[in-house]
Amino acid sequence: MHQDNENRDNNNNTETPVIQKVIAVLWPSFLTSGAASILFFAYFDPQLLMQVSGYGAISRMGGYTTGFFLFWLLTSLTCVMMCYFQRPCEKK
Amino acid sequence: MKPDKVTEEVVDEAFAKHKKVYPREVHGMFATFRLLGVVILLGGYYLVPWLQWDGHQAILFDLPARKFYIFSLTFWPQDFIYLAVLLIIAAFTLFFFTALAGRLWCGYACPQTVWTEVFLWIERKVEGSRNKQIKLDKSPLTKYKLSRKLIKHSLWILLSLWTGFTFVGYFTPILELGESFIQLTLGPWEFFWIFFYAFATYGNAGWMREQVCIYMCPYARFQSAMLDNDTLVISYDEKRGEPRGSRNKKTDLQSKGLGECVDCTLCVQVCPTGIDIREGMQYQCIGCASCVDVCNQVMDKMGYARNLVSYTTLNTIEGKKTRLLRPRIIIYFLLLVVISSALFYKMATRVPLELDIVRDRNALYRETNEGLIENIYVLKVINMDNITHQYKLSVTGVENMKVVQRKSTIIVSSGEMLDLPLSIQIDPADLDSASVSLVFKLVSMETPDVKVEEPGRFIGPLVR
Repeated sequence: MHQDNENRDNNNNTETPVIQKVIAVLWPSFLTSGAASILFFAYFDPQLLMQVSGYGAISRMGGYTTGFFLFWLLTSLTCVMMCYFQRPCEKK
Repeated sequence: MKPDKVTEEVVDEAFAKHKKVYPREVHGMFATFRLLGVVILLGGYYLVPWLQWDGHQAILFDLPARKFYIFSLTFWPQDFIYLAVLLIIAAFTLFFFTALAGRLWCGYACPQTVWTEVFLWIERKVEGSRNKQIKLDKSPLTKYKLSRKLIKHSLWILLSLWTGFTFVGYFTPILELGESFIQLTLGPWEFFWIFFYAFATYGNAGWMREQVCIYMCPYARFQSAMLDNDTLVISYDEKRGEPRGSRNKKTDLQSKGLGECVDCTLCVQVCPTGIDIREGMQYQCIGCASCVDVCNQVMDKMGYARNLVSYTTLNTIEGKKTRLLRPRIIIYFLLLVVISSALFYKMATRVPLELDIVRDRNALYRETNEGLIENIYVLKVINMDNITHQYKLSVTGVENMKVVQRKSTIIVSSGEMLDLPLSIQIDPADLDSASVSLVFKLVSMETPDVKVEEPGRFIGPLVR
């Protein structure tokens, strides 16, 4: 199973493909924010929340969408920071 | 100049790692299974939102109204537990089948596979076979190339938009959605999600393809934990195949010292993830069995036995016996049976009535002019049934309490919620502590089976 991995990495040991870096930030955060949206909005009605906080004009669909993207923004920020802190401290 | 060049090289290498895979068309038993999967799953996906039931869309997860319709059942946010249990069942089903037969999900049922299959079909219809596609991509930009690419991407985009439209049609009534789509009066959120999902489909099935499985899929990463030596995997019979080499049909294998692999590389050409199955088990293999199909055809032509590449188990390869029934299979199966029966039981005995008791937030209690202690509540009555109900309320827990109901009748139509303000007055002499439990009971007058009991609290002054 690992044999192929090594073959692929022979010419380039340290660099991760760019696509994999982008995915590592955007994708796990997408999945968790999806789960968070489902859980959150199963218990809280966005329309009521919006009315309480003075954004009465936004519809439920708008509430779900904004909520999802706020979750995604937060979770992808977490992923960015995680990737950043994962880099080695000393540069050779 | 020099540092620039270095960066350029690094970036180039990072991108050069990915080469486009051109999977060759394949026919055979497993390709037919996959085609069946595509027809059933995608056919279902595109058709189901158009089905009607009892005057509403048969399957509608009506997010704007916070109600889920599944045929004659209506689910509410309060029923969230059913969704959670359903997801747990789905997960165990996946574990069970993976332990049994490897990446069945990936090869035949995953949306990524199923949509990629359709996109590949369109690509072949427009650009021709694998070899023609490779040639076309290498050729300079001509009118012909431009027209082929334009047609291909237009068809992909049309299909993606239809896919996005269907997706949103599961969450808002599809007939109204279609109307406003045609009249160009779509709401901004519906509009956005149609395009978002269309973009995801186009990107994943048109461009990303096998990279989704390799880099993005969490299941692909952890599925190896469910495999054991008795799990069906796709493998090349190295002992039989090697040494590989070309030959003609009449060549005597023994005298030439050849194995049965004719090294036609068709197994590599059909692979959607671009690997060579003859190099052993690899994490990129999604278990689609295209190589099995194509190799069997070659073996038939050569007059050799089938299954040089086949579904087999690690135990079989090592000459040991394969066991079908093993602890993990039995455990997954039992868990599935238990959880499914529990869900079925809960669904069958589900009462389509919900009662929430909200205490007045301003005051814990109040004394009336007659010297009684009064608590104020708002009862939220949700009728989750398909018919209108009239309910009868009774409260128990303390002797001689006075229930003052501001509405004389409790009538709630199907799918509605009623706020029922209520005050309860109790003589302090009857209270034996500062906080007493009450039981609120609601019974339907039409069908006495529809009843619900909810505990509540009555708060009074401290008893000395």
